[in-house]
Amino acid sequence: MQKLLAFALLLYATAPLADEGVGERLAACVACHGKSGEGVRGAEYYPHLAGKPAGYLFEQLKGFRDGRRVNPQMAWLVQFADDTWLREIADYYAALPPRAHAADTGADALTPERRERAERLVREGDPVRNVPACSACHGANLAGLEPGIPATVGLPADYIVAQFGHWRDGVRHAIEPDCMREVARAIAPEDIRAIATWLSQQSNPEGTRPAPAGSFTPPTSCGALHTETTR
Amino acid sequence: MKLRRVFAIAALVLLPFVLAAAAVVGVLFARQGGFAPYRVPHGGGRAVAGDAATIARGEYLARLGDCVACHTTRGGAPLAGGRAFATGIGTVYSSNLTPDRDHGIGDWSADEFAHAMRHGVARRGPLYPVFPYAHFAGVSDADLDAIYAWLRAQPASDFVPPPNRLEAPADSRRALIGWRMLYYRPDQTAPLDPSDRGRYLVEGLGHCAMCHSARGERGSLPPEGHFAGGVIPGVGWYAPPLDSVQLQRYSEQQLADYLRDGTSPHGSAYGPMAEVAYASLRWLTSEDALAIARHLKQIAPSPLRPQPTAVAAQTDASGKGADVYARACADCHGKNGEGENGAYPPLRDAVAVTAPDPINAVRMVLYGGMEVTTTGNPRPHSMPPFVQQLDSAEVAAVVNHIRRTWGGQDSRLTDDDVDAMHGIVID
Ligand code: HEC
Ligand code: HEC
Ligand code: HEC
Ligand code: HEC
Ligand code: HEC
Repeated sequence: MQKLLAFALLLYATAPLADEGVGERLAACVACHGKSGEGVRGAEYYPHLAGKPAGYLFEQLKGFRDGRRVNPQMAWLVQFADDTWLREIADYYAALPPRAHAADTGADALTPERRERAERLVREGDPVRNVPACSACHGANLAGLEPGIPATVGLPADYIVAQFGHWRDGVRHAIEPDCMREVARAIAPEDIRAIATWLSQQSNPEGTRPAPAGSFTPPTSCGALHTETTR
Repeated sequence: MKLRRVFAIAALVLLPFVLAAAAVVGVLFARQGGFAPYRVPHGGGRAVAGDAATIARGEYLARLGDCVACHTTRGGAPLAGGRAFATGIGTVYSSNLTPDRDHGIGDWSADEFAHAMRHGVARRGPLYPVFPYAHFAGVSDADLDAIYAWLRAQPASDFVPPPNRLEAPADSRRALIGWRMLYYRPDQTAPLDPSDRGRYLVEGLGHCAMCHSARGERGSLPPEGHFAGGVIPGVGWYAPPLDSVQLQRYSEQQLADYLRDGTSPHGSAYGPMAEVAYASLRWLTSEDALAIARHLKQIAPSPLRPQPTAVAAQTDASGKGADVYARACADCHGKNGEGENGAYPPLRDAVAVTAPDPINAVRMVLYGGMEVTTTGNPRPHSMPPFVQQLDSAEVAAVVNHIRRTWGGQDSRLTDDDVDAMHGIVID
């Protein structure tokens, strides 16, 4: 734990201050992820990147390259990129201010019952199906946890539904133990859309960053949190 | 009675034809190498050195031959095979080359391995020509042994690649004997002279001609199309001719740097060439890169190569393409298609604008790209995809504009043509 904290501090201290031309080199990403990785309004499938943990982003970029995540547009762009460059890209987006606005404010409204159920699942989980609360891992404010758990607020609803599908179908893989796969498989299919819609409507007006590594402990072990120490 | 006589006469008349046919089959069979390719040596105790230096040399050679790239699926165990290759007749999967005795080539002798590389025939029968054995055939014994030694030193995997999915009759390996009789001419791939280093690497392990040549019937590679450029079967990208004319705009050193860095003042590698640069050429020593560049720059243009067009620069009447260009492309590629050295490739004389086929230009505009990461270009630049920003008519207009203005091509793409070229091709 202390080691993790020390590492996080070190990362913070060595984070590049200026962008050193990285942004200019990433012109390709702007089309779908926005000028500062904040996402593109109106193109609501594309997830935002800004302010997510660097360790998480790095893992995802490698995942598209190496087949642990499948998306042709992403694989096309990163398939011939080495780890050093992907790491720099991840650091660049992680250092940008997190996206503050919600995703689909215009999405079909949830009925009061569905909204209440969604929020309870997020905050308390589903004891019947043995699903832990989302907030137990993604943080009470759902802003994520360094180095491997991203924020879930403000993600497009369709994107969240698709990711749950990818985990359930075995198309998306995180570092083992893949705790998020267990969550995605345990949750009732009819609840996924409600949770996704609810999450997409949450904003992050203060631009809260992911909690520092080790500041709380998820209920089950997640490989995603051990990327930095095992690297 | 009568019937019998008719048969007898018919037989007499037909006999010469039957004999002639048999003779043709005999000649064709002899020209594809006779029986020798089908005598696959099993066992054989020839020992191959497995010291660290040989293994390191084998690794270098295997990279130049791109064995790992073709014999690995995205995310799969290295060399365990299973990568799919689309061909005109169906899908062929690469094989498991790891030292696993049951699923790889762990119980192959050095002779059996060399035989497969030389003749394209393994114990399970003739191999499909997606495996570039016609090129590997000229590689020296010592180099094949070094590759063998390196393969032996890799981790074993018990992965079983999916069975090939091919149409009849091509699904039978025996049918490949017929293909070889028509199209495979081993005398043209006679041993290459290793001291002529550039040529040895280009014609041998580099198998550059596999993509950079004009194809004949049934995916064959006729000698007159050697390095004439062409559309690569299965993936659809166009690979340009490799000869003194095409490569005139590069100095020897620039060309050597392009191979190792994946980028140069005259263009950056993309599509299948990006994979070749990333998996293979970026590992070249500077001496080998220069030797390859020297050889490429003195290859005489093949008779089948498209003639460079002398059409004077044409402009498009509507001006729509020029408008799109000014708005969406000029920031990077320059007002006059001159590019920006060290950042963005020029479009003037670029492969995609001089190519007879517009596919490369259309795909780049639709899906963009990120240059390959290499030691010489560790933080590469990228081009945005325009598939969401421009409609098909605008894509057609801008591609026509750059191909007419800087490529001398009388490009007349329509929005329907562009629609037909949609779709990202990876793997
Ligand atoms: C053509 C659109 C497009 C472009 C251009 C694009 N992306 Fe993506 N990106 C996507 C899509 C779609 C996803 C979600 C894929 C999925 O469904 O899993 C994604 C996901 C990601 C993720 C994972 C995000 C998360 O929260 O898990 C990262 C990181 C990423 N992209 C980085 C990049 C970078 C870096 C570039 C530029 C080199 C880039 N993208 C260019 C479409 C694009
Ligand atoms: C046991 C811990 C844990 C719990 C509980 C959990 N998650 Fe996650 N979640 C993770 C981890 C770890 C990742 C990152 C996985 C990776 O590296 O790909 C993740 C990733 C995600 C992502 C992908 C984000 C993106 O940008 O692609 C979504 C969406 C998500 N979680 C939603 C949820 C929701 C909704 C819940 C509650 C129903 C939940 N999670 C509960 C650990 C958890
Ligand atoms: C362009 C892709 C490609 C490249 C490059 C390539 N191979 Fe292959 N190779 C294949 C395919 C596809 C097959 C399967 C052919 C078949 O099923 O008939 C194959 C088959 C083989 C076989 C026969 C295996 C068996 O079990 O029958 C050997 C041996 C082999 N390759 C060795 C190599 C070596 C060594 C290299 C590098 C010097 C190499 N290959 C490079 C595509 C490739
Ligand atoms: C898998 C197919 C493939 C193989 C194998 C391949 N190339 Fe290419 N090459 C291409 C394609 C497609 C292009 C056009 C796209 C581009 O310019 O990047 C290209 C472009 C080039 C160019 C740029 C030409 C110009 O006018 O700018 C050079 C030089 C080149 N290749 C050299 C080689 C050499 C040398 C080898 C062998 C070591 C080789 N290629 C092997 C597909 C291939
Ligand atoms: C942000 C800078 C940028 C913009 C804007 C841009 N490009 Fe590019 N372009 C590049 C880069 C970088 C490459 C090399 C990509 C690679 O190697 O993967 C490239 C490559 C190309 C190629 C391949 C050239 C060759 O050597 O064959 C074509 C064609 C092309 N661009 C056309 C266009 C057109 C048309 C537009 C406008 C619709 C455009 N580009 C906009 C940066 C840009």
